[in-house]
Amino acid sequence: MEVEEIETIQSTEKARITTPGRVIMVTTGMCALLGAVMAGAMVMGTADLSLADILGSLTNHSGGADSAGLILFRIRLPRILLAAVAGFSLSLGGVVFQAILRNPLADPFILGVSSGAAFGAVIGIILGLGFSLGIPLAAFAGTLLTLGILMALGRRRMGTESATILLTGVIINAFFTALIMFFITTTTDSRLHSMLFWLYGDLAQTRYAHLAVCAPLVAVGGAVLFAFSRDLNLLTAGEEASRQLGVNVERTKIVCLVTVSLLVGLVVAFSGLIGFVGLIVPHLARMTFGADHRILIPAGALGGAVFLVAADTLARTVISPSELPVGVITAFLGAPFFLYLLKTRGSRWTRS
Amino acid sequence: MNRPRAVCMGILVVISFLLSGPAAARIVVDEAGRRVAVPDEPQRIVSLAPSVTEILFALGLGERVVGVTEFSNHPAEAASKPKVGSFVRLNAERILDLKPDLAVGTVDGNRLDLVRLLEDAGVAVYAVNPQSVDGMIRTVAGLGAACGVPARGDALSRDLRSRLSRVAERTRGSKRPRVFLQINTRPIMSVNRNTLHHDVIRLAGGENLTADHAIPYPRVSLEEILNRGPDVILISSMERGGAFEAARQAWFQWNTIPAVRTGRVHLIDSDLIDRASPRVIQGLEAMADLLHPRQEGPGERLNVEVRGDGER
Repeated sequence: MEVEEIETIQSTEKARITTPGRVIMVTTGMCALLGAVMAGAMVMGTADLSLADILGSLTNHSGGADSAGLILFRIRLPRILLAAVAGFSLSLGGVVFQAILRNPLADPFILGVSSGAAFGAVIGIILGLGFSLGIPLAAFAGTLLTLGILMALGRRRMGTESATILLTGVIINAFFTALIMFFITTTTDSRLHSMLFWLYGDLAQTRYAHLAVCAPLVAVGGAVLFAFSRDLNLLTAGEEASRQLGVNVERTKIVCLVTVSLLVGLVVAFSGLIGFVGLIVPHLARMTFGADHRILIPAGALGGAVFLVAADTLARTVISPSELPVGVITAFLGAPFFLYLLKTRGSRWTRS
Repeated sequence: MNRPRAVCMGILVVISFLLSGPAAARIVVDEAGRRVAVPDEPQRIVSLAPSVTEILFALGLGERVVGVTEFSNHPAEAASKPKVGSFVRLNAERILDLKPDLAVGTVDGNRLDLVRLLEDAGVAVYAVNPQSVDGMIRTVAGLGAACGVPARGDALSRDLRSRLSRVAERTRGSKRPRVFLQINTRPIMSVNRNTLHHDVIRLAGGENLTADHAIPYPRVSLEEILNRGPDVILISSMERGGAFEAARQAWFQWNTIPAVRTGRVHLIDSDLIDRASPRVIQGLEAMADLLHPRQEGPGERLNVEVRGDGER
């Protein structure tokens, strides 16, 4: 296997050699971290379950049907898994969008996918659809609507004009947000709670059926995006430069934009809107692992999973026995920590 | 100025003074501690909250009510009265258009700037503030007195109190079941001790599972409910439709909860337990029947009257 040397174009530090070995090492390390955080999350919660309770539940004859077992495997575990899948997806989306749009402020919601999904969910709530099937479908329909509007821009624009894409996203966000505000102000109390809760993200009452839909699709999406890592690396040099280096810029951008939008829409359909993950974790990953997307994509995605599992655990323990919306925690956790990192290390974007 | 002219001016001033003054009025102190000049017999009353509407009608003042809020759905006659907007968004123009002489609102809900606006326009505004079942009964008497029907107010409050004490009698000495009151399905929300619902549970002879939360209407995790194991789960109907029955069915998968094992998962009409009106006694009685079933028959399920809102 040939060893390729890629100098990260934006960095003025000495070149980091990206070998397949390094990619595997980083990925494995992050997986181990994720596993540890997930295990920790399993033992934390409103119900004070000691290690003995957990072991007892795993080994007794009721097969997890006792109270501790139900708590662990029907309430906590699906929730933790969805947090991991959602965090993975959101952060992955952030990494790819930041590369494609060449904008450090890009997050996966910037193109309006989130507000389209939120609009779909709000309509679904008003129509009284169920939360296990109807609302996710409605939200995903909203995502497809947004994507349709973006695609209507035309292949050429989507492939080349980042500013146009960004502006369209801003308008889409503004429009759907206004619609959502309208519905919020004219709705009844109980529906209002459901809407607000959805808009801040909530991973409670997750079912394995949801995971069975989400997880494989997110894995496939992740693989697709990983395949574009080299192209994304080259894109950061500028579109003309990367075109000359053999990157099909149009195709790369469109495939990546659509894939990320679908992934994010899928995940948001089940988890509601959870902000900050897709903005902050990519930067954290870039600061830690460098800007080579062959490492950044797995590291950033897994980092997002770790972050969201941790945030969700806090959301359900910090004011125990009450719960907070997870979006509040991601903002509280993310923003100050991020400011601190920026202050001490600076963003990689400022170093070119 | 010569004398006849001065006298004419004086008479004109006095007459205009008399004409501009309100009908015979007294000063009462409302439940927000404000001194309000209420007409002796208010003839055009506007209600600014659904609970207030119910109290006014229960006091026999239905004919004198000229405007109600959008979700004032009880009694049936109230639904046909002119609407002045919803409880959270009152339409000041509509209210003034009805030329009321008295507006009755709540301390919690109605905005102070609206109150000032109405008062500036010459409408007396009386605020009620019932925070508990007992508070509601006192509001009934107080509002009756303020509206010029003290006898009816006293009679009604006596009747409500005797019903309350009959429930207390019935449940005295019985063990208090642990009750989880679910007021929202997604997220799961309940009530803490600083709510009317908690008071109803307590007076109906139950123990509120989530009394100790810090927030009045907290989100509750399933973990906690599984862990604490309530004896009865009450789902408060909040909106139209079968989604409500689905909420009840959703509990049956958690069969380590005592309430689920014994089938004690019931629906209860939210209007009967979250509105501080005389019907809350009816809700209380119904809840007492659910929590302490009479010996002659199995625990009754209250017929759910589905409503389109969760307004208080």
